Amino acid sequence: MRYLPLIWSAVMRKPTRTILTLLSVTVAFTLFGLMIGLNATFDEVAAKARADRIFTNARFGGNGMPIAVARQIAAIPGVKVVTAVNVILGYVQDPKNQAVVVMVDDNVPKVFGDWGVTEQLWDVVRKDRTGIVMSGIQAAHWHKKVGDTFTMISKQMKRADGGTAWTFKVLAIGPDFPQNSNGYILGNYDYIDKARPLADQGKIGEADLLANDPATSTELAARIDRTFANSATPLVTITEKLARAGGDFAGLPIKPITRGIALAGMFMVLFLTGNGIAESVRERFAEFATLKTLGFSDRAVTMLVVLEAALPCVIGAALGVVIAAVLARQIPAMMPPGFGLPLPTMSPVVIAWAAASAFIVALLSAALPILRLTRMDIASALSGRT
Amino acid sequence: MLRQIWIVSVLNFKSLPSRFWQSMVIVVGLAATIGVMLSMLSVSAGMRQAYYASGDPNRAIVVTKGVEQEPQSTIARNQAPLIAVAPGIAKDKDGKPLADRTLMTSVPLLRKDGSKGFTTMRGLSDKGLGVRPEIKIVAGRMFQAGKRELIAGVGAQLMFRHMQIGDKVILPDGEWPIVGIYKTGDQLEGQLLGDTETLVTTLHKSAYTTMLVRLASPDSLDTFKKAMTTNPALSVDVVRHSDWYRRVGDQTTFALTLLGYVVGTVMAIGALFGCVNTMYAAISTRAREIATLRALGYGAFPVAVSVMLEAVLLSVTGALIGAGFAWVFYDGKLDLFGNVIFHLSVSPHQIELGVIWAVVVAILGGLLPSVRAARLPVVDALRAT
Repeated sequence: MRYLPLIWSAVMRKPTRTILTLLSVTVAFTLFGLMIGLNATFDEVAAKARADRIFTNARFGGNGMPIAVARQIAAIPGVKVVTAVNVILGYVQDPKNQAVVVMVDDNVPKVFGDWGVTEQLWDVVRKDRTGIVMSGIQAAHWHKKVGDTFTMISKQMKRADGGTAWTFKVLAIGPDFPQNSNGYILGNYDYIDKARPLADQGKIGEADLLANDPATSTELAARIDRTFANSATPLVTITEKLARAGGDFAGLPIKPITRGIALAGMFMVLFLTGNGIAESVRERFAEFATLKTLGFSDRAVTMLVVLEAALPCVIGAALGVVIAAVLARQIPAMMPPGFGLPLPTMSPVVIAWAAASAFIVALLSAALPILRLTRMDIASALSGRT
Repeated sequence: MLRQIWIVSVLNFKSLPSRFWQSMVIVVGLAATIGVMLSMLSVSAGMRQAYYASGDPNRAIVVTKGVEQEPQSTIARNQAPLIAVAPGIAKDKDGKPLADRTLMTSVPLLRKDGSKGFTTMRGLSDKGLGVRPEIKIVAGRMFQAGKRELIAGVGAQLMFRHMQIGDKVILPDGEWPIVGIYKTGDQLEGQLLGDTETLVTTLHKSAYTTMLVRLASPDSLDTFKKAMTTNPALSVDVVRHSDWYRRVGDQTTFALTLLGYVVGTVMAIGALFGCVNTMYAAISTRAREIATLRALGYGAFPVAVSVMLEAVLLSVTGALIGAGFAWVFYDGKLDLFGNVIFHLSVSPHQIELGVIWAVVVAILGGLLPSVRAARLPVVDALRAT
């Protein structure tokens, strides 16, 4: 603590240099926060992904699959519960405003209860078939509250009368969860099924299920695929754990990319801070010689230099992470609709990584100047013969 | 004046080695910025090139009115003959129109690393090879019309497992064998091809996806388009194949390109502060040299210019190093995005872009320091130790 005035005067010796260094470090850590935060989100999603939840889709989409497939799957040993899923893809007013309503059946709270779709929440839609549950993100996006109506146009999903407009009542606002940064709108499968042309009735897009045993769910998924391999509707089945494990986003390997960018940013500031501290020490070489003459130990001098280097790094890291947290919330508004890149989360792990990186950068940049200081010849330094 | 700028700058550059580590701040800053940006852009640029290369100005694609993506289009089976007889379509040697009824669906496959991926399976009708003469069989044979068999592209072979001749692909009501391998030199290489009519039946489809026609000449698009849009029995859009892929490519890569620029901008801002810092430090190191020059009668402007030139030189060096890294590591690498197989690309055009960014960063970063250099009080600077 008693070194504080010394460090402060060292840092404030050239305020321009300090402020510019701080700004540069802040920018680098903003990027660091966003990148590692994105990484953290993918980790969280992968960690939360359940091994016993299995997604089944028709191998060849378009026409979907008969709901009978969902019932057949439910009868396969090892399957606990199946919910049939159908999706209405469409838009609100203008084709640019894309919207998705996921139509599910009464088993949805059993399969997706941990995503916040509880029995109580689903109950309101069970009782009113034309109703929907909107997650907070979607409700905010469409400016809807409980009691409003929500109308979308779907060219893909026509009504029995040939109409393309689907109108729903917003019955409840549901919680959001990190696995789905776009939020969700849930409707009642019965509603669209009865409203569609006879030829399309009884078709679903997806069947999601829970397995009895998480340990054998991968084999169960393979068994489901095998059972239907030679049928009229071959399936493609994957456990949630496996689907989320790769950390891919739209085919991009997120982890190496985000880590690479964060590392490049750190490398950039390392040269800046390292150079700054080296210069600062060079300019004050005689001062350090004086300190050593006064009896400052090598450890004390080392401490002074490290702290001087650490100050802009730590403050910059803190500012950067805060800015990243603020920016992260703006990302959904900046991305094209439906892009669905998850939000970076500033979890304790991210903050710990930022702090660790700040200290590593500080230590590395202080290393060479410290080496020079510990090896300095005090007499010649004091006389200016360096 | 020019002579002064020259002399001051040469003198300045000669003293650069003594400020090596200081200068490295700018070089490394820009190398990191441009390296990262070009690496990210190599994905979107490569993908865009793959799309651009897939379109042929001698072809026109017929899609449902208003759709923006091929899979969303449906051409009813009874509309296909109406489209094929329209004027403006090239004829084969038997006088039959070169119009290909296309069916498109995506098919789940295992990637080489064992993870699940998917690619496009495309139905080619009897005139398919006439419309797309670039399809060359490199191994095995062409699929036969009416038979449940497929041919795989060389790109698909590189990216997915079980893509050899004799391997089987799961389709409704049974598996189809791969009987041949083809090459096209464009995006089609990452896909699987089969007979349209057999696929339509197997997949229980009631319509084709699109029609692709070979134009009699590139100029006959208007004739063909007019025939299509004035026919009351059809509700379709006609787009030149090259223009179609150009638009789809731009659309698909938009978000990725944006992401690359956003990250590039953020890093450039960080590098900018570093640049300002370094240039301030540089002029304080050069204070005596500058003051001496000014005392000898050199103008303030050449001094300012020399500062600016130094910033530009260092930035551009950094940008070229960064671009070099991006080029060595990523250019030409095979990649898969969604179901598009393409080569990552760091083109001269992009490197040029990186250099322009570096120059902009240098000019913005060198501005304030060069003003200070120009205003340096000569007497004080000469006295200072």
